[in-house]
Amino acid sequence: MFLSSFLLLSLIALVAASPHQQIADLAAKSKGVVRLDADTFDLITAPKRNWSVSIQLTALDPKRRCAPCREFDSSWNAVADAWNRVPKDSRDHHFFATLDFDNNGHSVFQKLGLSSAPVVFVYPPTDGPRAAASGKTSPSKYDFPNGFEPRPLAEYISKHTPVPIPYKDPINWGRYITFAASAVSFALVLKYVAPILQSRWTWAIGTIVTCLVMTSGFMFTRIRNSPYTGGNGNWIAGGFQNQFGQEVQVVAFIYGLLSLAFLMQILVIPYQTSPTRQRLQVYLWTAVIVIVYSIIVSLFRVKNRGYPFRLFL
Amino acid sequence: MRTAYPIPQNLSPETVNNTASLLRIVALILISGAAIASRLFAVINFESIIHEFDPWFNFRATKVLASEGFYEFWNWFDPTAWYPLGRVVGGTIYPGLMATSGVIYNVLHALHLPVDIRNICVLLAPGFSAFTAWSTYMFTKELKDESAGLLAAAFIGIVPGYISRSVAGSYDNEAIAIFLLMFTFFCWIKALKSGSVLFSTVAGVFYFYMVAAWGGYVFITNMIPLHALVLLLMGRFSSRLYVAYSSWYAIGTLASMQVPFVGFQPVKTSEHMAALGVFGLLQIVAFAQLVRAHVSSKQFQSLLYYAVVATGLLGAIAFALLTYKGWIAPWTGRFYSLWDTGYAKKYIPIIASVSEHQPTAWPAFFMDLQFLIFLFPAGVALCFRQLRDEHVFVIIYAVMASYFAGVMVRLMLTLTPVVCVSSAVALSALLDTYIDPQEPLEDQEESKERTKAPDASNGATTHQDSTPVSPAMPKKGKKAAATAASSSSATKTQTTSSTVTFILDALSSSSTKKSSSSKPRGIFGFDARLAVILNTIGMLLFFVYHCTWVTSTAYSSPSVVLASSNSDGSQHIIDDFREAYYWLRQNTEKDAVVMSWWDYGYQIAGFADRATLVDNNTWNNTHIATVGKAMSSSEEVAYPILRKHDVDYVLVIFGGLLGYSGDDINKFLWMVRIAQGVWPDEIQEANYFTPNGEYRVDNQASNTMKNSLMYKMSFYRYPDLFGGGQATDRVRQQSIPSPGPTLDILDEAYTTENWIVRIYQVKKDDFLGRDHKTANAFAQGKRRRKAKPPVRRKALLA
Repeated sequence: MFLSSFLLLSLIALVAASPHQQIADLAAKSKGVVRLDADTFDLITAPKRNWSVSIQLTALDPKRRCAPCREFDSSWNAVADAWNRVPKDSRDHHFFATLDFDNNGHSVFQKLGLSSAPVVFVYPPTDGPRAAASGKTSPSKYDFPNGFEPRPLAEYISKHTPVPIPYKDPINWGRYITFAASAVSFALVLKYVAPILQSRWTWAIGTIVTCLVMTSGFMFTRIRNSPYTGGNGNWIAGGFQNQFGQEVQVVAFIYGLLSLAFLMQILVIPYQTSPTRQRLQVYLWTAVIVIVYSIIVSLFRVKNRGYPFRLFL
Repeated sequence: MRTAYPIPQNLSPETVNNTASLLRIVALILISGAAIASRLFAVINFESIIHEFDPWFNFRATKVLASEGFYEFWNWFDPTAWYPLGRVVGGTIYPGLMATSGVIYNVLHALHLPVDIRNICVLLAPGFSAFTAWSTYMFTKELKDESAGLLAAAFIGIVPGYISRSVAGSYDNEAIAIFLLMFTFFCWIKALKSGSVLFSTVAGVFYFYMVAAWGGYVFITNMIPLHALVLLLMGRFSSRLYVAYSSWYAIGTLASMQVPFVGFQPVKTSEHMAALGVFGLLQIVAFAQLVRAHVSSKQFQSLLYYAVVATGLLGAIAFALLTYKGWIAPWTGRFYSLWDTGYAKKYIPIIASVSEHQPTAWPAFFMDLQFLIFLFPAGVALCFRQLRDEHVFVIIYAVMASYFAGVMVRLMLTLTPVVCVSSAVALSALLDTYIDPQEPLEDQEESKERTKAPDASNGATTHQDSTPVSPAMPKKGKKAAATAASSSSATKTQTTSSTVTFILDALSSSSTKKSSSSKPRGIFGFDARLAVILNTIGMLLFFVYHCTWVTSTAYSSPSVVLASSNSDGSQHIIDDFREAYYWLRQNTEKDAVVMSWWDYGYQIAGFADRATLVDNNTWNNTHIATVGKAMSSSEEVAYPILRKHDVDYVLVIFGGLLGYSGDDINKFLWMVRIAQGVWPDEIQEANYFTPNGEYRVDNQASNTMKNSLMYKMSFYRYPDLFGGGQATDRVRQQSIPSPGPTLDILDEAYTTENWIVRIYQVKKDDFLGRDHKTANAFAQGKRRRKAKPPVRRKALLA
């Protein structure tokens, strides 16, 4: 009893002596991510440190309404959790920490001159064998080059840790299950949908819709993440090399309508038996072509101001 | 027989045929003429000059080929490119283009026609566009008939989507590649239709030519196997398919491996695996067919079936294993980024930085294809009507190419031929219907129709029995009819039910080739014909005007010579690039090394004949990143880099005075990004933005930006130009702070008339061993400031 309390006492004395040990205990206690406030922030970023630390500065309080903070926090914790799994002797040379603005952290935000969150700083060690040869002690900032994904974050921080972070993307069971379920259900209904799948006109419609959508700039909106509209009722993006999501729909519909008009003239009208009805349809579809073609040309004039031609609109 | 308009009766069929074929020849000649003529705007507006960037390298290589012969060219090592590494040219290019012009040059000289090699290079693309028109005609003829072929040839002759890469002076691989693409496809279709080994051999040989000419040959390498695979899945395996594919693959692949740049890729990389896999699959299927023909036992046949399936599975697993083990290289970045569109931006910024690798917005499609873009789906739909093997090919081509063209502006070029072909099919079907003089009989009229309408469903079921293809078709037909009816105006509602019948008839006639009651009847009266035909002619005329306008304004600029118009409307030529390059050529040492961003590497080599660090053949990312780092870091950091690479001159493009937006400051972020990819600790993109995240060059610009070599070189002495006034950058519409940046390690050597090109000379080491900053300060008569002793500062801090 006496011995054990003596041991404990000496342990406490030891802890008080070494800030490194103190932080290591904090980290062990909080399962990898140290929750910082202004004081522990100074401790962990002490000018003389033989450890490195990556700090997330964030504002998770719901009243701050910081959606990106919450989105990023889960990635942060996933990476920190992965780091928590490496052996203790290398784990204690790098720490993950989170400083919340509302957890007594405004002074730190002020000191670093930050006006936005989340921000990630990686402080390299200044002392000991892992100190940078160039004598670099200032923190480097991670500026989310690939969004809030955990994998690039882990890759970036791994450059500063003694061993790479063993981060693995969680296995997306949901996707596998959905895939398997859809495969099974497809196999089950195959008997009933087979006639539809074997019909050439199913494929024709699929092909034509693909062509229409692709030639209306769908991939552009996907790759550039264009908004659906520009806001305040403005759905045409200015500029020749730019477009909104709604333009894809409008242009694909216009092209589709024009194609349909031609198909009607080729495939349907010649089968009419009544001259008057046929004549009516000929004029009708010709008018559709002329009018819709004028519309698309005038749309194009909006996008390309220098276009010199116009039809009836 | 009643006709809508009088036709001559007393013509023999031979006369008609002969006249038609004469007219076809005349039309093809005229189309070729139009195709060539419309590509000559660049020569007429400017001069006979090689355009842009890559053509300059091709031109330089061709000159070597023409003057030194083929073997010298094959073994050419270029020490001036990628200084100090050099470049093995023979093994890193597609030599088809140079070889083609070399052959033309030698033939003309053998005929004692002393044509300059430059003129051959300038006019090669227009010349080959005529061949493209012809091969498109042949291809479309296989699909429908001669008249559709002529329309397709006319379309591809003048369509801007193809002109954009083949105007006179645009001496690039694409100039001959589209002809080779279309001709290889034509031979493949012909071989498939006839099962002829001759045609598939020709297809293989032209495939080889294509491989030697353009990296886009991978499109053929995957299109033909995909077509074969789809035919196989549709149950259309035949000995014709087997013969055509096997001979094409064997000859084409063996031949293509003779190109040094391709080498063993056809058996080692994923891009080529589809072709190999389908080849193997066809052998298995053919073997199974053969055995089945000779063996009758049922058990044995089922055993055979499972054996074939098992072999196929084993093969697939072997592929997967080989890829996993690294024996088969995975997809190269450029092709992989076509599928995973975010990939390039993340991992290969060099590919993402090229403007022609950007995704395509819809105005670009309309600009390049105009009314063909909406005739194209109609033509694809018509292909489904007959659905012969060659129609399947066009359908697959249409889907693949429209996806690729959407992902990358540059691949609009591969979409253009199929758009021309299928819209020609649609338009010629329309004209066939409405020009046909035969009037239908006005029999039984309304009464019969009325009895027919209510029994539409009955009619459909009877058709169902007779059509093997699809029992689900009537449903589809009704749906199509419903959409058709709803999209047209209200006046049509009364005719809806009859429309259903007609669509059903139209559809079933296509699958069962003329079932009794549903023959196309034709058009009544002259006025209906006239309306449609006049409308079509109007659209064609508009298309011609559009093409001429687009070609003359957008696609005929050489980009080494810029044009603007004076206040009186006359043309003003801005010739700064050539001015600078000739200055380099005349005033610098023969072995001087010029550093610039990689865009200008080929031009410096071609015009100025000086060594460059990096050029448009972007094979060495680290070297490019080194140049990016030198441009984007401060003078102190950049100087050792410049000295270590023996750089004598630095060349930057600056558009601020003229408002030329393609200048280096606008490309600067890509330099930073590429440098950051290699030195993430030293170069960080965020440092080049203002705290608000804006990219600025005025007095709010970040310090890193203001201290970067690129900023300093661009704006050095720029404010002096404005006297005491406010200096404005006309591209970015920002004002430049008045005491402009200073340069210590560089001397301004030359600045062109409109300041577009600025050349700086790198200072040699100071002869007193001082650093350049001190030396400069001394030269300006500034006293050296005494540095405070650091010890005292520390004391103050403590």
